[in-house]
Amino acid sequence: MAVLENKISVRNLCKTYEMKGNSHEVLRNMSFDVRENEFLVLLGPGQCGKTVLLNILAELEQPDGGEIVFAGGRPRMGEIGFVFQKYALFPWKTVMGNVEMSLKLRGVDKETRRAAAQEYIDMVGLSGFEKALPKQLSGGMKQRVGIARAYASEASIMLMDEPFGALDAQTRYQMEDEILRICEKKKRTVVFVTNNVEEAIYLGDRILLLSSRPSSVKEEYVVDLPRPRKHTDPAFLALRNRIVSNTDLNI
Amino acid sequence: MKHNKDRILSMLLPLISLGLFFVLWFWLARAEDSMIPTPYETLLRLLEICRKPISKATLPIHIWVSLRRVLIAFFCAIVMGVSFGVALGWNRTFRALVNPIFEILRPIPPIAWIPLIILWCGIGELPKVIIVLIGSVVPIVLNTYSGMKEIDPLLLDAGKVLGAGRRQLLWEITLPATVPAILAGIRTALSSGWMCVVAAEMIAARQGVGFLIVRGQESGDTALIVACMLVIGVVSMLLSTVLIKLEGVLCPWQFSKTK
Ligand SMILES: Nc1ncnc2c1ncn2[C@@H]1O[C@H](COP(=O)(O)OP(=O)(O)OP(=O)(O)O)[C@@H](O)[C@H]1O
Ligand SMILES: [Mg+2]
Repeated sequence: MAVLENKISVRNLCKTYEMKGNSHEVLRNMSFDVRENEFLVLLGPGQCGKTVLLNILAELEQPDGGEIVFAGGRPRMGEIGFVFQKYALFPWKTVMGNVEMSLKLRGVDKETRRAAAQEYIDMVGLSGFEKALPKQLSGGMKQRVGIARAYASEASIMLMDEPFGALDAQTRYQMEDEILRICEKKKRTVVFVTNNVEEAIYLGDRILLLSSRPSSVKEEYVVDLPRPRKHTDPAFLALRNRIVSNTDLNI
Repeated sequence: MKHNKDRILSMLLPLISLGLFFVLWFWLARAEDSMIPTPYETLLRLLEICRKPISKATLPIHIWVSLRRVLIAFFCAIVMGVSFGVALGWNRTFRALVNPIFEILRPIPPIAWIPLIILWCGIGELPKVIIVLIGSVVPIVLNTYSGMKEIDPLLLDAGKVLGAGRRQLLWEITLPATVPAILAGIRTALSSGWMCVVAAEMIAARQGVGFLIVRGQESGDTALIVACMLVIGVVSMLLSTVLIKLEGVLCPWQFSKTK
């Protein structure tokens, strides 16, 4: 048995958009592997195609070329958890309604799914807010709901698209610790997208640095710093400098 | 402090503008050979028709007759308009098939249907209800359809990754997301229906507020005309107030003020 099985293998992924006669190449020969239960960070400059890549992984969009192989076969819709950059909460549903949605869609009866959803609401620290509507929550709380909703589907793969990108620095640090705690508690394979170097080093087991558009994987960094990591640790800073000096300029 | 000032202003300004309205009205009515009754004459006439029947009915009965026509047509319009709008928004074949016809019929003012409908259905209750139905179904269809078209694609994506099938995307995601647009359509539909009923009654009716106005015209009773106009305005305002309240209850994520 292989020690580190590849949960997902991405090979030569290509994606080009045609817009008013202009072709707009976003992904060019993107290849990488995701290992079982690792926390993989995709670090890329703005507009390089990170959301497009995750959408393709989640089958929300089709690639123009290349293939994606999943260990154990292509998951069906609902078997990959997705945390959206812009939350994408259902505004007409309460916190509970949002979190239990995947179970409801699967036809799980009310009592069972309520109990299951409650566990994830408690996990993200939103106990007491079950009946609140998304518009009554702060940005950080909204994304907590987004995370709970994705985890509640019991998917073994979690795709997180810059989940903390819209939050202020303070909330962001807090959420980073939160997500590490959750990953500790619920082992999942996480693909986490960010454009923030510190966030990547703070969270990732492994970091893939993406080039600017048309984007592909430029470099891999294994982060073997002990957790909890400190932003001021010399090893942290050294890695940060290595990554920054290798990063394409944001266009 | 500032909050307090805002509150006083928002209470005071409507009173001032209403006051000005009545002063202006009074002043116009007092002008020489004016055809307009004074506010006081209008009020007297209003009280009189509440007690003394015209065409076998007092004012409240006339209002009720008109309102009943509107409400019957309105509920039919909701059922028909929402289903039609959803079909239009959801099924591409249906849209391609039916939209061109709808686009041609849609701009015809409901009132233009009156002669034809009266020829077909005579002058009973049915033709009025049909005319109101025509007038109120269109805004519901349009709002439902455009609400479905403008749904945030991100919400559909969220539904899909959570495992929603096509049918579930419609019932669990698209329809709830469209409710605010549908409610807005319903509000427009009610006021448009109320206008249509008055128009229909002015052409052929023996009871109803529209009929009363025509009666006023035939007997040169301007106080009656103006009284009825006021009644039409006030009823319409009350209807829309009720609906706005209802929107807050039905759709708190969109309309209620809780922050
Ligand atoms: N449906 C589409 N049609 C046309 N172009 C698109 C489409 N989706 C994405 N793009 C283009 O692909 C490029 C990459 O977009 P994407 O949203 O994946 O970037 P991103 O890396 O997620 O950026 P950000 O950091 O801002 O989230 C953009 O230039 C965008 O204009
Ligand atoms: Mg993005």
